[in-house]
Amino acid sequence: MAKHDTPLLDQLESGPWPSFVSDIKRQAEKNPDCWDILGQLELSYTDKITHWKHGGIVGVFGYGGGIVGRYSDVPKRFPGVEHFHTVRVNQPSSKYYSTENLRGICDLWEKHGSGMTNMHGSTGDIILLGCRTEELEPFFYDLTHVLGQDLGGSGSNLRTPANCLGQSRCEWSCYDTEEVCYHLTMHYQDEIHRPAFPYKFKFKFSGCANDCVAAIARSDVAVIGTWRDDIRIDQAAVKEYIAGNIVSNGGAHADGDWGAFDIQKEVIALCPTDCMWMEGDKLKIDNSECTRCMHCINVMPRALRPGAHQGASVCVGAKAPILDGAQFATLIVPFMELSKDNEFENLIEFIEGIWDWWMEVGKNRERVGETMQRVGLPTFIKVMGLEPIPQHVREPRSNPYVFWQDEEVPGGFERDVVEFRKKHAA
Amino acid sequence: MALSEDEIKAAMIEKATKAPKPQLYIKDFYACDPDTKPRVIKNIANALVKEGKLMFWSSGSTTMYARPDRIKNEEGAEGIN
Repeated sequence: MAKHDTPLLDQLESGPWPSFVSDIKRQAEKNPDCWDILGQLELSYTDKITHWKHGGIVGVFGYGGGIVGRYSDVPKRFPGVEHFHTVRVNQPSSKYYSTENLRGICDLWEKHGSGMTNMHGSTGDIILLGCRTEELEPFFYDLTHVLGQDLGGSGSNLRTPANCLGQSRCEWSCYDTEEVCYHLTMHYQDEIHRPAFPYKFKFKFSGCANDCVAAIARSDVAVIGTWRDDIRIDQAAVKEYIAGNIVSNGGAHADGDWGAFDIQKEVIALCPTDCMWMEGDKLKIDNSECTRCMHCINVMPRALRPGAHQGASVCVGAKAPILDGAQFATLIVPFMELSKDNEFENLIEFIEGIWDWWMEVGKNRERVGETMQRVGLPTFIKVMGLEPIPQHVREPRSNPYVFWQDEEVPGGFERDVVEFRKKHAA
Repeated sequence: MALSEDEIKAAMIEKATKAPKPQLYIKDFYACDPDTKPRVIKNIANALVKEGKLMFWSSGSTTMYARPDRIKNEEGAEGIN
């Protein structure tokens, strides 16, 4: 039986799509405190302002992240949400769950919290919504001791690292995303659980340029699998695709009537660098022009495969639009070998180089991508100890200026103005 | 020349006690010893939290540090001590 009238929220159940209002009502039948979520939200819709206060000192002992304090500013009207803290739980790599584990998480949250969950937050964590302060420590004890799981990152911490399925299921993955994600999660436990930076910092790991975790759009350091040598071609399979004996895109579009497969239209003409062509019945690729976008491989997976010399491109500085609009990460290292044998030391060295600089130069609440934008890419690559390379140029010929450093110019920039004026009248 | 860890701790506590606002960003502590690297300052700040001399205050997206006796407890009393 509903505790509050919610005519505005009820409208959100009238469409054909799933409704969070229905979900909360269903949970409220089990946990009556959840009626107050709906009551307070209805009030916010009427008042056109939030009634949540967020932030504060709540947390679990020894940790400086993983719990986001949340309180109602109308607790007398809605006592069930007086405290409604959010808990972030580090998700398993690639979000592989057993049903037993999912039941365990849900049971634990019904025991200590509201039972409301958000699977998953943008960072990737399991988000558990609604816990009273006095239940945080008992929940944390059970989470770590019964389920063997840990909290994720929040605040100015390293946020919970996330990765795609990688080589566990995907033939395109150019490195073991799960291994890197796990290794860095363990290596940076202190940074995940305690604040370390001027603002949030995220890693994400995708095995190829399809970028299934959207690393390039969502992470400060996006590690995206790529290869250095040539795309591997099976010319016999190319012929089979052309003959219509193998369905394109792995059958992903087979339920629509798209006509016969047309390699010219669907592959060659859509290559962003125009680096493919047919010679007779053979598909040719100028690999020196290929940007490893994955399009041709996605369309003809049985004919084309990533090259054999595999590693990752590292891009830096993506962010959401709080300041200056959203931005994608910028390519900084076109190819980096990633090996468990050296415990990914080259990636760790690169990341810590960014941290050392950003912690010093970054302003409060400034993402590293904003700091890069403020100082300029030439300065950033210089402080990172990298040589400028053509891949750093985003738009050729759009900027006519070349900035020389004093030491790069014979004689430097010091000039004798009197001598100069003898030959050049003012 | 960099200060000792104890000297930096004392400077950080003094800063957190006298700053006009109770909550401070980690960068606000860098000035306690400009010769010490930011990651070392961060580690010392977190050690002070462990000792109970500072507390974390988090908005959810940003984490700040404060003296326990200056920070407002969202659940009631002014000052935790």
